[in-house]
Amino acid sequence: MIEHLQVVILGAALGGVYALMASGLTLIFGVMRIVNIAHAAFMMLGAYLAFWVFTRFQIDPIVSIVIVMPVLFVLGMAVYRLLFGRIVDSQRYAEMTVLLTFALALVIEGVTGYVATGVYRTTTPDYATDAFDLGPFYIPKGQLYATVLSVVLLGALVMFLRFTRTGRAIRATTQNRAAAQLVGVNVAWISTLTFGIGIALAGASGALMSFLFSFFPSKHWQWIASLLALIVLGGMGSLAGTIVGAMLLSIAAAVVSDLLGPTWSPATFFLALFGILMVRPQGLFGKRPEA
Amino acid sequence: MTRAHDAPATPPPGNAPGRGRALWPAGVVVALAVFPVLQLAAGGFNYWLHMMLYAFMYIAMASSWNLVGGFAGYISLGHSAFYGIGGYVTGALMTFWGISPVISAPLAGLVCFAIGLPVGLITLRTRGPAFIISTIALLMLAKLALDNCESLGGADGMSLPLPNLPVETMKLPFYYAMLAIAVAAVYTSYRVRHSKLGLGLRAIACDEVKAEAAGIPTRLYKIIAFALSGVYIGMAGGVWGYYLTYLKPTIFFQILTSAQIVLMAIVGGRGTVAGPVLGAILLVGADELLVAKLGSTELNIAAKGALMLGILMFFPEGIAGTLKARGRLPRILDWG
Repeated sequence: MIEHLQVVILGAALGGVYALMASGLTLIFGVMRIVNIAHAAFMMLGAYLAFWVFTRFQIDPIVSIVIVMPVLFVLGMAVYRLLFGRIVDSQRYAEMTVLLTFALALVIEGVTGYVATGVYRTTTPDYATDAFDLGPFYIPKGQLYATVLSVVLLGALVMFLRFTRTGRAIRATTQNRAAAQLVGVNVAWISTLTFGIGIALAGASGALMSFLFSFFPSKHWQWIASLLALIVLGGMGSLAGTIVGAMLLSIAAAVVSDLLGPTWSPATFFLALFGILMVRPQGLFGKRPEA
Repeated sequence: MTRAHDAPATPPPGNAPGRGRALWPAGVVVALAVFPVLQLAAGGFNYWLHMMLYAFMYIAMASSWNLVGGFAGYISLGHSAFYGIGGYVTGALMTFWGISPVISAPLAGLVCFAIGLPVGLITLRTRGPAFIISTIALLMLAKLALDNCESLGGADGMSLPLPNLPVETMKLPFYYAMLAIAVAAVYTSYRVRHSKLGLGLRAIACDEVKAEAAGIPTRLYKIIAFALSGVYIGMAGGVWGYYLTYLKPTIFFQILTSAQIVLMAIVGGRGTVAGPVLGAILLVGADELLVAKLGSTELNIAAKGALMLGILMFFPEGIAGTLKARGRLPRILDWG
């Protein structure tokens, strides 16, 4: 019994990080209907940036979020302006965004591979290999810190969306783009801003990932596949669905990994995806898709 | 624009007036079939045979992908799953039951068709982004399954029996096999384009709700197109596995293979018959030059991505599509 509970604890301790990783993806899809295939590639960029400041200046990866987030925020806004600003009126917008971000992921992968080589990397702060003892259980410090920080960032995001004027404009754009424009929301600017925020969140989760998992340039395919499965499960574009889905899948993956071995745990995400498509194609929290 | 009832009963592409036009594809195929004589007579053409069979493989795959990604407008990023499944089915049949690849490769195509039906049934319940995501999940799941399948070598892969041929003629069976698969794939693409199925698929690409309302069995058509698009990719995977003489999940279930296929179809022109063929030839050539020049696989990946970005932003209809829209598509490329 105790061992099983321990597995659940380990899963839950990662759930927050998964939620943070997927939150940017959800935000970007919600506001702009962009399926950002390059999201995990931006996570890798965040991880490499954190790795670089860690090895170069001995800055803790958690602290380095303060550097990583602004850098990726600006990068994200620039990418949006460059690639997506001009295709907003395209007839095949949805598939164009997928193909463009897919191509973007290849570019990022190629460039990081060239600059950083394909060597497996991790940052190694002290807490990465330490754990808290709680009687019969233990919680790895790295996972706990990462999840707490993720919850803080997600909380800040929710507050921002709920209580600020810009946040309300973002939510309005998610609900109805045309109507938001009618009541005076500058949709083009809100889109650019949201893309920047989403990429910054990807960067933050990348910095946290840098001491939780080893990473290399082409690793982003494994991550993006799982994260995309996760947001389909949650109902695409729903932040609440994403967080619930992240928790559920993180715990399920830990249990599967315990029962069948760690190589099978990614299968949890994909099987959950096919399962939800059979039962409820719009996802847990989703509305019926409109096209 | 060719209307569907122009569809000919005779071999392609003979629907237009002018005899020469009807004959030239046959001429090209005959020339390609005769080409290896140079190797037999003079030798030293193994490099060219290799490049050409590689191009044939991608012609077959891009044309197949185009059935669902081009005609129906359902972008799949997971079609290399069929490539890997085809490779493994052929390899297993050869290694464990000693079945000749002449039989096992087509069988692999059938297996891919059979797998495509239920997968299509599930994934095609959604459209747009969720569909694309589920195709990636399909690829990842297939790779994971074979990574963990110890009887097929797991993540380390497995070796296949060596084809016992002298160096001079070693490439020939593979050359002809890939040529046959490519011709069959392009022919299938042509026939689908000019059939009721093809018309239905194009209607789905334009407006699925209206197509459904007009009485087109959209669900059935999509699933057939999806399964059909796996057939030649599976066969190509089977032949390629035997050619490499070993199978490994990291080689056969790469998302980069999918990227390559999609890119070829886009560069050439999605939804046209000639487009994927053109794109495949151009990109196999460009790839060879890039590898020779840059020599580095990482920069090669970045270049591929940058090329894809450029084409998507400035020529989203591809070469054949753009030329067609301007009314400047040479007749030699106007395959309907």
